[in-house]
Amino acid sequence: MKNNIKIERARHDMTQGDLAEKIGVSRQSINAIEKGKYVPSALLAIKIAKLFKLPVEDLFFLEEGE
Amino acid sequence: MKANYLISNKYKIPGWILLISGLILGVFLMISEYESDALEMKVLAIYNDNTIFSSDDNAGFFKIIENSILDELIALAIIIGGLLVGFSKEKVEDEFIYKLRKDSLVWAIIFNYIVLMFAVVFIYEFTFFDVLVYNMFTPLLFFIIRFNFLKFRA
Repeated sequence: MKNNIKIERARHDMTQGDLAEKIGVSRQSINAIEKGKYVPSALLAIKIAKLFKLPVEDLFFLEEGE
Repeated sequence: MKANYLISNKYKIPGWILLISGLILGVFLMISEYESDALEMKVLAIYNDNTIFSSDDNAGFFKIIENSILDELIALAIIIGGLLVGFSKEKVEDEFIYKLRKDSLVWAIIFNYIVLMFAVVFIYEFTFFDVLVYNMFTPLLFFIIRFNFLKFRA
């Protein structure tokens, strides 16, 4: 699964640490999600989407073959 | 997120202190070939079979025997310290950290038994006793090292 978190973060002028703190996870989690190493739970995905005021589908995308 | 089986983050530092002091003392005990008579006292043995280490005929179930409890204390320090370090929450505990912990546990168990199989095949006689001693602690140690490595790299 790919995502636009890095772009949205830049648009809102937030660091990984800022975003992590706002949704109550570790900075490592945000880093791993952005790099595509970790697929977040639905709960966490919705929390991030809500923070950026976006539908989840505009933030997370399936890759080909998924 | 509900993180099961984990204890509070405040046990992390006491855990590290216990684990590291246990490991240092353990290495010294290993170098001294377990010859220490320190803290010798009477202890209860559920079963005592003293064919190798001593010669008095105090064999059987539920015997009171003389034993240096130094090695027992060190082993407990390493195990309790290791459990506290490995299973206390991180400062920010979330689903990703929990996944790292689980992955590290799987990795540690598999790695430990691969090393043990290697030792079973290539290490013989009394030297294998050392392997058994190390193997009491290596699953926990491999887990802690792997978990902290993954967390550091993430």
